[in-house]
Amino acid sequence: MAVTDGITIIHGPDGCAHHTTSLLHALQVDHDRLFSPVILSSSLTESEIIFGGEEALGKAIRSADARKPGLICVLTSCVSAAIGDDVQSVCNSSPCPDIIVVPTGGFLGGGFSDGVEQALLALSALAGPGREPDGSVTLIGEKNLEYEVDAQYRELSRLLSLLGIRVRLRFVRNVTAAALSQLGSGSLNILRDPSLQEVGESFRRRFGTPYIPSFPVGFSGTLRFLEQVGEELGIDSRQAVKTERENQEQLIGNFRDLRGANVSFYGLSSSALPLSEELIQRFDLRPCNAGIPFSIPDPLPVGTAGLSRTLHRWRRVCRA
Amino acid sequence: MMKQIALYGKGGIGKSTTSANISAALSDMGLDILQIGCDPKRDSTRMLMQGRFIPTVMDQVRERGDRSIALEDVVFTGYGGVRCVEAGGPEPGVGCAGRGIIATFQILERLGALHGDVIVYDVLGDVVCGGFAMPMREGYAQEIYLVTSGELMSLYAANNICKAIKRLSGRSRGICRLGGVIGNGKNLDSEEELISRFAERIGSTMVQFVPRSLVVQRAELNKKTVIEYDPGSSQAGVYRHLAAKIMENTRLDIPEPLEMEDLEALAYEFITN
Repeated sequence: MAVTDGITIIHGPDGCAHHTTSLLHALQVDHDRLFSPVILSSSLTESEIIFGGEEALGKAIRSADARKPGLICVLTSCVSAAIGDDVQSVCNSSPCPDIIVVPTGGFLGGGFSDGVEQALLALSALAGPGREPDGSVTLIGEKNLEYEVDAQYRELSRLLSLLGIRVRLRFVRNVTAAALSQLGSGSLNILRDPSLQEVGESFRRRFGTPYIPSFPVGFSGTLRFLEQVGEELGIDSRQAVKTERENQEQLIGNFRDLRGANVSFYGLSSSALPLSEELIQRFDLRPCNAGIPFSIPDPLPVGTAGLSRTLHRWRRVCRA
Repeated sequence: MMKQIALYGKGGIGKSTTSANISAALSDMGLDILQIGCDPKRDSTRMLMQGRFIPTVMDQVRERGDRSIALEDVVFTGYGGVRCVEAGGPEPGVGCAGRGIIATFQILERLGALHGDVIVYDVLGDVVCGGFAMPMREGYAQEIYLVTSGELMSLYAANNICKAIKRLSGRSRGICRLGGVIGNGKNLDSEEELISRFAERIGSTMVQFVPRSLVVQRAELNKKTVIEYDPGSSQAGVYRHLAAKIMENTRLDIPEPLEMEDLEALAYEFITN
């Protein structure tokens, strides 16, 4: 779902690959999707743990290569890291032109977002030689497991189109391995959220590409986003901001039935607090313990369309 | 260009003594030397540090966490300005020492410790898992030196390590090669000739024969290298000669390990003679 022609090899026992595949399958089913990434296992058994797993890895790489993928990603497991398999060297010796290694042994620490950061940085090795930036935008770190990932993308594309800008590359979502070489060719990177700041900084140092640290969130945040993008790309954003402000005012008008409601926010992450405060102010909501239970989705809704979906959800709760 | 060498050989054969004396001799030549002990016993650099067991990288990781370690916590300056590091690791019977070596290398890379004119990796005797082959990996030791006596089991261990060198040399970007064999004498008959012949048979050469000498034990009891303890001794001269040979060495081979029968036949040849 990320790199469409990629194959992932998990260098470890079958259980590690099974666990990952099961999780992704369960998430995809929940999202009414059936696509699952191709994941192979090097199938380490006790024998390989004792005698070394590099040969098994080599065999898995050959098996993956026979399918002619655009990219092979090799992930390590706890046990392959503990026994000291030189995974990088095995991959370097492979005839596959595009093969990257991401050390993902659990004992190395870090959480989900650390893994995402590592994967993005590892995939950036596929970036081609720099070209003259062409005024387009690269999206960095879309959340492939997010239910509304493509809805968020459509909203972002719509907002950027108000400025006459196109998205050149989704790094990494629904792209071929070959397309990843375009990293560094855009004029601006837009990070999915601020947790990817290290990635943004790394690409800025390497390609000279500036970045905006997050997809737009909230009414004023969306307008500010348009201004920021315009500023970075030297585009006059006033008309785009005016158009979007009118769009937002129409949306707020469509949900005037929510105005003045007694609400009780629950399960808010710290990052959602500014958005909740903005919504309280825009709709004159009355927070109180006995209020209608409202939540704000996590990840946060993107742009005006994201707010629309959230408001629709709140309306359903009010009418329930 | 920075030279990186690693010493392998049977446990107790004299690798650490040889490494420390090579490092001391090289530092006397005015070179900037880093010696890294890759052994949970953490005794590689003791003779360079006046008998002191320096804090190990793994102990520091356990106490502070690897992100809190600074260079000065793990690199200590000994005789002649030789910078000393001990990887450390678990006590016997627990944990995974090989993983400790891998972690040590990663930490030393991160701290920018791997610099100098020569890096000497002193690796424990039994290379029992992938972690202990870390010095042979791409980017580290280009030259491996096998330390052996004329005893059959010592030759057997050296021969065994050749299998690892051969395998890693065969990788497309593998740069490690066998730089040569260092004979560490045990006063056996025809020992120097046996070790020299062994080196030839595996496709290499004996770069130096270090005779057994009481001054080595005396120096050790005084917590010094021979170079420091008795610089005018002939033994110190041997180590200096060895250090110079290593610096000049351009012969790097991919060894061909012997079959056990051939190794035994070679050893018998010298015993019956």
